[in-house]
Amino acid sequence: MVDRRRLSPATVVVLALLTAAAVYFLLPVAWVLIAATKSSADLFGTFGLWSPDPQLGANLGRLFGAEDGLFGRWILNSFLYAGVSALIATLLSAGAGYAMAKYPFRGRELLFNLVLAGVLVPATVLALPTYLIFSEVGLTGTFWSVLLPSIVSPFGVYLARIQAHAAIPDALLEAARLDGAGEYRIFFRIAVRVMSPALVTIFLFQFIGVWNNYFLPLVMLSDQRLYPVTLGLAQWNSQTFRDPAFFELTVTGAAVSALLLVLTMASLQRFWRAGLTAGSVKE
Amino acid sequence: MGSRIRTAAGALAAAAALGLAAACGGGGGEEPAKSAAAASGDPANPVELTFWSWVPNIQKAVDAFNAKHPGIKVKLETITPGPDGGYAKMLAGVKAGNAPDVAQVGYDSLPSFLVNGALEDITQYAEKDAAKFVDWQWQTGVFGGKVYSIPQASGPMAFYYRKDLFDKWGIEAPKTWDDFAAAAKTIREKDDSAYISTFAANQAPWMIALAQQAGQQWFSTEGDAWKVTIDNPDTRRMAGFWQKMLDDKLVKTEADMSNGWYKDLQTGDIAGWIGGSWGDAIIRGNAPKTSGKWAVAPMPQWPGAAKFASASWGGGSASAVLKGTDHPAEATAFAVWLTSDPESVNILLSAGYGWPSIKDTSRIPNLQQDDTVFPFYGGQNIWDVFKEADAAVGLDWRWPPVSDALYSTLTDNAKAAVEGDGTLADAFAKTQTAMVEQLKAKGLNVVATGG
Repeated sequence: MVDRRRLSPATVVVLALLTAAAVYFLLPVAWVLIAATKSSADLFGTFGLWSPDPQLGANLGRLFGAEDGLFGRWILNSFLYAGVSALIATLLSAGAGYAMAKYPFRGRELLFNLVLAGVLVPATVLALPTYLIFSEVGLTGTFWSVLLPSIVSPFGVYLARIQAHAAIPDALLEAARLDGAGEYRIFFRIAVRVMSPALVTIFLFQFIGVWNNYFLPLVMLSDQRLYPVTLGLAQWNSQTFRDPAFFELTVTGAAVSALLLVLTMASLQRFWRAGLTAGSVKE
Repeated sequence: MGSRIRTAAGALAAAAALGLAAACGGGGGEEPAKSAAAASGDPANPVELTFWSWVPNIQKAVDAFNAKHPGIKVKLETITPGPDGGYAKMLAGVKAGNAPDVAQVGYDSLPSFLVNGALEDITQYAEKDAAKFVDWQWQTGVFGGKVYSIPQASGPMAFYYRKDLFDKWGIEAPKTWDDFAAAAKTIREKDDSAYISTFAANQAPWMIALAQQAGQQWFSTEGDAWKVTIDNPDTRRMAGFWQKMLDDKLVKTEADMSNGWYKDLQTGDIAGWIGGSWGDAIIRGNAPKTSGKWAVAPMPQWPGAAKFASASWGGGSASAVLKGTDHPAEATAFAVWLTSDPESVNILLSAGYGWPSIKDTSRIPNLQQDDTVFPFYGGQNIWDVFKEADAAVGLDWRWPPVSDALYSTLTDNAKAAVEGDGTLADAFAKTQTAMVEQLKAKGLNVVATGG
């Protein structure tokens, strides 16, 4: 049966554009997944989107076996750096944003504008000053040197304030106070839950930001067992001109780390729920 | 990915430079350390050293050192290669007072480390070992008669070529550059898609090595002033030769170590490469199916050269003792052992660190018989070729304290020339002007220069 409805020209154009965009964005992903099944020689000698002689198992074995399982450590480090700092950053942002939205105090706007200014300063600019400060207190080269600078997120504070302002009705807070709830209880039991869609967003942004942060660990760390996966892969990539076997490790490692990140994001997205306060108070 | 990392490294270097300018004035006044006799340490209370390097698998050599030296305990930290951010990290570390005791530094970067005050004078501990090392390699760590680093390895150049294809085309490995041009012409006539090599305008150290082999050096010092002679007759002759090769379309112009170049190595479309000794691993790893078909010949010579001349790709690498170490004697002892003990050299060779810096290589098993390497070259002992090449590297070559700028300027100018904007000779002349300005901008004296 053929659908007799004719597609309008506009629909065709939009479909074509969307398809082109999808291909454009997915092609590199397809390439890295296919390349992860190749030997170093095939990587350059064969067509990019076809693997004539797949050896994914061998590549994975080599990847996780190289240098006493270093790659596994890097992945764990990345999850630790990104996960822990995103969690703390989300909590701090929620608290700061909520306070700025709901408690009037002197200098509130000044403080908020300072935080906003923080959004505009690229983290890269701060890396070296942070290094010098950390080396004063002997923290460089440690796990903390990457974690501590990552637990603050000016953008998160900004987003949390907007969300608290828009989503938490003052009437709700008053009702809670009338019922005898303390401020901490109101924050953790009510505000955090109402703000949760924004908090998930903050968490995801911070997680990806820390996961992809290359510069800070590059400056801070010198022991490669503490490296996150980004820095580790870059290090392997830089050794390919001495030993081409590192091409396999780098490409397979990039594919694995990208997949893990996609899986993490996908599993976190189900927390994205809106409309929690719909009908909670009468406006 | 690569370019982003380069950019990041550039930013780090720039940031480090700013930090250095701001933090200027520290350092100095170190106590001249204990006598050289203490260099073996006390087993009951071992001296702890930190070593920064990016050579893959160098840990094995460090382990071997620790096993044999109970009084010294070396901790290896693998860092990003110097040009990708490692150097900036070392310099920042020296200023912040938490630099490693020993660090891997390229021969081309030692002068800039010296200018930045990041190297420790180790003359009193190292002098006695000078005779163990190849003269030109040893000299890369000597400035004003003082020793600052121990050479690790170099990258002597030779000509890798597809012997099976050369035989098919009825040509031999070129002995002179004229032979090279003639062979290139024959290849173009016999095969539509094949070239003798590429002219790698992306690869500054490679072009510098060609100039080094041609004769006159680019940089020298007169008193406390730098003399820049990039635009010299020997370099101009070399530039003219390659310009003609480009004009006659006898060489490819694709970048080396690029995806296309790796592919061409596999297909035979690139039938030769003037490369460093470590390039063997690149060919074997990227074109495993061409095993047995390659051979290595000495670098082609310029007509009328008094003696056989070669060059080293980017110089090589040293173990530098960094300023601020508490144990210069032990650090020196470690650096010397790492690159002169036969066991360690053998380990490092298989890790691909380059060509050994020691004179006597007769006790290095891998250089006598290497069952993973020689069969790839039809059974040829290619290390003999590189040994001869390393011995034929000029003694008077000096690197400037602005190698980064030299590399980027030369690459930019050469790429423009290859794309038809001026000639290669112009590119070297422009690089000369830029380098004089760079050195002056660093506050260094530059004497009048001329071709």
